[in-house]
Amino acid sequence: MIFREVEDRDLIAKARRGDVDAYSILVSRWEKRIFNYLLRLVGNREEAMDLSQDVFLKAWQNLKKLEDAGRFSSWLFRIAHNEAFSLLRKNRPEVELSGDPTVADRAPRLFPVELTLAVERALTRLSDDQREAILLKVYQGFKFEEMAEILGCPVSTIKSRVYAALDLLKDTLAPVGARGVQ
Amino acid sequence: MNCSTIDLKAYVLGELPESERGRVAGHVRDCASCGEELERLNLTHLALVSLRDEEAPRRIAFVSDKVFEPRWWQRMWQSGPVMGFASAAVLACAILAHGAMRTATTPRAAAVDTAAIERQVSAGVNERLNEAVTQAVTKAVADSEARQKRETATLLAAVDQKYEFQRKADLAAVATNMDIMRKEQARMFMASTGLEMRAQ
Repeated sequence: MIFREVEDRDLIAKARRGDVDAYSILVSRWEKRIFNYLLRLVGNREEAMDLSQDVFLKAWQNLKKLEDAGRFSSWLFRIAHNEAFSLLRKNRPEVELSGDPTVADRAPRLFPVELTLAVERALTRLSDDQREAILLKVYQGFKFEEMAEILGCPVSTIKSRVYAALDLLKDTLAPVGARGVQ
Repeated sequence: MNCSTIDLKAYVLGELPESERGRVAGHVRDCASCGEELERLNLTHLALVSLRDEEAPRRIAFVSDKVFEPRWWQRMWQSGPVMGFASAAVLACAILAHGAMRTATTPRAAAVDTAAIERQVSAGVNERLNEAVTQAVTKAVADSEARQKRETATLLAAVDQKYEFQRKADLAAVATNMDIMRKEQARMFMASTGLEMRAQ
């Protein structure tokens, strides 16, 4: 991770001087993470792809505004967050929690395919804010402080979203009485 | 230990420092409800991370987008090997061009310039030559005329002198002859007078 960050710093420095090849390498390093983050947030493959392109385009255009290359990942995910929520607000003006977590599916034992479907389904039942909080925390591994920087919220708000989302997911994916996931 | 002070979610999400993690782990061993809650949270976390990342359906277009492709000079400028090769190529071209210009361009330039220069020089030379010839001819003619005049004058003077001498000689001869005639006449007169006197 440290080596990757060092290499990213070097690539960012080159990209800031207009080195497109360096930026292309940077894109290839981050495109999968950004795409999956956006895919799980907006739930549509094509939209996620289009958003990913917009994210990297905006990142390129604003790369010189990035003051600390060490914060590239947070900065990039903040752009992704802004792009995603801009689309979500346009598509769904009233961002509400979909589904009723109290009527969660009860599945004490799940096969891998079923588990994947169950996780995807559970994630869609979260609010956009909660789902994003889980995506950044569980899938992207950001610390609460970094998430607060990305989302422009206090750490307390971030924790609240993550914890609320975990409670909902727990009721869906690990209901009382469940003993394991196969 | 009060269960409300235990942050199991932060524990599962890796947000607790090591010392705090030990405290939570110790509590969970002794607290059945917290142990069950931790197990559910771990199952949830395991279920979440079992979701694999998908590959993007295609590469980000940025990489191949023409709009963002660097211009040829940017690619060359940013590529050390290409820049080195290009520099060497430019240097080689410069040397070749220099050599070619020295061998090929100079005659052409000379031909072009020579034609003009030749015309100019020729015109200038012709003009000056004409002037010189004219001057020389004029001078020669003048000299010749002067010399001829001098010779003519000399000849005339010589002729005049000759004729003068001749005339003077003629006059002297005439005078001499006249003297001879007078003397002869006088002698004859004297002779005739003598004869008469003797005759008397």
